[in-house]
Formats: sequence, structure tokens, C-alpha cells
Amino acid sequence: MRLQLTLAAAIALGTLGGATPARGDGTLAMRGVYYKERATRVMQPMLDGMFDAGAHGIISGHLLVDAITSASTSSGAANAAGFTERRYEGGVGYAHELGVVTLAGDAKISTESDYRSIYTGARAQIELGQKNTVLGLGGGISFDTVSAAAAQGPAMPTLRCDAAHPAEPSCPLDVYAMYASASQILGPNAVIGLSVDLSTLHGDQSNPYRQAIAGEVLVSERHPTRRTREALAASARYYLAPTGTTVIGAYRYYRDSWQVHAHTPELRIVQEAGPDIDASVRYRYYTQDGAYFFRDRYPPDDAAMTQYVSDDVKLSDFTGHTLEAKLGVLGEAFELDGRWAGARFEGILEYVVQHNRFGNAVIAHVALTIPFEY
Amino acid sequence: MVAAAVRYLSWFAVVIVLGLGMVAMLGSSGCVVVRAHQRGHLAKRAMVDDRATGESRFAEHERGSREGAEGGTGQPGGGCGCN
Repeated sequence: MRLQLTLAAAIALGTLGGATPARGDGTLAMRGVYYKERATRVMQPMLDGMFDAGAHGIISGHLLVDAITSASTSSGAANAAGFTERRYEGGVGYAHELGVVTLAGDAKISTESDYRSIYTGARAQIELGQKNTVLGLGGGISFDTVSAAAAQGPAMPTLRCDAAHPAEPSCPLDVYAMYASASQILGPNAVIGLSVDLSTLHGDQSNPYRQAIAGEVLVSERHPTRRTREALAASARYYLAPTGTTVIGAYRYYRDSWQVHAHTPELRIVQEAGPDIDASVRYRYYTQDGAYFFRDRYPPDDAAMTQYVSDDVKLSDFTGHTLEAKLGVLGEAFELDGRWAGARFEGILEYVVQHNRFGNAVIAHVALTIPFEY
Repeated sequence: MVAAAVRYLSWFAVVIVLGLGMVAMLGSSGCVVVRAHQRGHLAKRAMVDDRATGESRFAEHERGSREGAEGGTGQPGGGCGCN
């Protein structure tokens, strides 16, 4: 991880150090995230860059490393054996403006010892009514490969990709997604947004390490190999000019073909404290039903393997609460000059209360975003 | 199977069409037009998007590993072995 951070710093310094006449603007953001719950700790350094490409194009890219230390590869299972793993992710995107229409595409690859994902997507956006209305439409495809390579022991376990086929070293998981979005300005201080996401997953969606209790024995998790997911989200933002306060309300409804239904209302209040400082607080409530096949304990396993069994806490019935505090400060507040005057420092502290086996979690972010010319 | 899928998604398609239609109507009818010089407040960071790309990406990833629901952001759920 030290090598990646050194590389990131070298890229940052190289980018910022150019003395040639400026051809465009860009930003470089460095962020570090720390996540801790009862049995898992994650540290994620990341680097995000965005810069102009000609008069109408914007190129973006990111690199990140997930350093995961967990009590178990099986994500919350009771039969835990510790492990440490790293996930690497990189992505690039390009957006091109053609008058009121913007076309964009992006690609992303993520790899870890037992999972690889390759994603590509495209979207279009149109501005209507003197930019008072913005409509968007997009879609993406993700081709993932799942294995049990992180299993401990002399031999790598094989997976049953589905009940009709023999065990294999790895299984595919394909995700097809599309979304539509709309935002509308309602007045000089108010804007609303609406979005709809649809996705369908085909392939192995079980955790290869996790086991459920069936009768008196432990059996490998078996989830359905198809899942259709739908989410409808709405948001409203209102700016209170006399106090410099922005109130943001959001709500998401989710359902899927495994009969998980979820409601997620959220409220954020962002307060300006002068031209260079803003602070915000956020409360998020989350509740979901359990999947139709989720049980704490199953009847004895059937030999034909037609029964779905799961020990996935995410598929149980539970609720959660999130509280967050965030502070953003521009370099100008510290009387910095030049590009550093526009640099933004961010600190975030988040606490998640969750009524299930995962338990509560603490998340902290520290970030620095630096604007540059080149 | 196709018929079942269509039936399953039909109410959602209605919501999409109604929602997008309503917003498009509001925008094109001229009943709400805020001109460029009136958008000082709308251009503020908190009114546009107060979350950085990296912050949103981590939040989606973290929720995907803790919660059964995903989506609402326009990205597919693949990307990590969080099952």
C-alpha cells in the first residue's frame, strides 16, 4: 500500500508541477477511508482525477486499494477464521458535451484474490427549458468471476455454479443495469430529482465460504442464480438564503425478485460558515424485509439440492440508523495562495447502528481536493 | 417467462414514464423557468452535489456489503465479492 501511495503522490506532484501555459482545468482528490465494525476493518486510500479534454470533453479516472482485515472470509459467519485481503480497483471515464446533450462512457476493473469484476457503461443527458430540466438515461454491464481462492487449506474448494452443473473452480456473475433520472429546478432556491434503477443479475450469488445450519449440520450457502433489482429514488434540495442553510431530503424505495423490500429516508442539513467553510449533519434510516428463503435455521438438507439456504445477514429482516457529521474547509480559510486557496479539505465521521449480527460500525474519511491548470 | 417479467416490471415502467413525463412537462411548459442570473443559490455546492465522487463510491460499496438493497445511483452492483 505504501508503494501505491508513493505512486499517487508522484502523480499528484507531477501533475501540479507543470510550468507550461494552461490548456485546461482539473482536480485531483486524495481520500483515505477507515471502516470498522465488530469483525471487519477496512482501510481504503483512493485517488480521483478529473480534467478538461479540449473545449467540450472531461476525462476522469480513479485508483483505489481496499485493505480488508476480517475475522472471517464468510462475511459475518459464526464459524470465523481470520484473513487479510486487498482489492484493487481502477476506472476511467469520458464525457463529451454536444450543445444541450452530454454523452459519456466509463469502464472499471476490480480484482481481489477470489473475485474479479469488469464493468463498462454509457449514459446520455439532455438539458431542457433553459437548463431548468435535466433528463438522463444510462446503462452498464458487469462481468464478474467468483471463486473460493481465499479459502484456507491445502486445496482450493470448487463451487457449484448452479444445481444442474458439476463443481467448478470459478463461476460467472453477469450484471445488466439501466437507469433513468430527471431533475427539475422549481425556483431560485429549490431543485428536485427522481431516478429509477433496474438491474438483473445472472450467475453465482452465494458466498463460497459461508454455511447455513440445516438440521444438525452445516451446508454450503445456495442462493438463486437470478435476481432482478429495482430502486426508485427521489430527492429535494432547498436553500435558505438568510441563514446560508441547505436542507436536503431524500427517499429510496427498493424491491427485488428475492422479495427484499427496503425503505431509506434521509435528511441532510448543510450549513455555510462563511465563504470558505461548510459543515453538515446527516441522518439516514434503513429498513428491509428478509429474502423469501432466508431462515435462521433450515430443515435437514435435501439430497437433490433444490432448496435455497442462506446465512447472509444482508438477506435478513433488519433496520439501521446512520448519523454523520462532515466538515469542509477551503485553503483560503488558512490564508493560502494560488491553487492552494481553492484546495478543499474534508473530514467525515459516521456512525452506523445496525440491528443484526454485523453490529454497529464507525467510518471516517479524510480528503484533500486540489484544483490545477495544465 | 417473458410475460412474467413484463408483468413484474410493469408498475415500475408506469412510474418511470409518469415521473419523467411530469418533470419534462414542468420543464418545457415554461411554468417554472429560473434564468441564469437567478441561479446563484442553485450553483452552490450543497445545491448541486455536496458529495465528492470518492465519498459516494465508498458509501455505495460499504452499503452493498451491509445491506440487501442496492441501486438508486445508476451503477450496477458488481465490483466486489461482498456477498
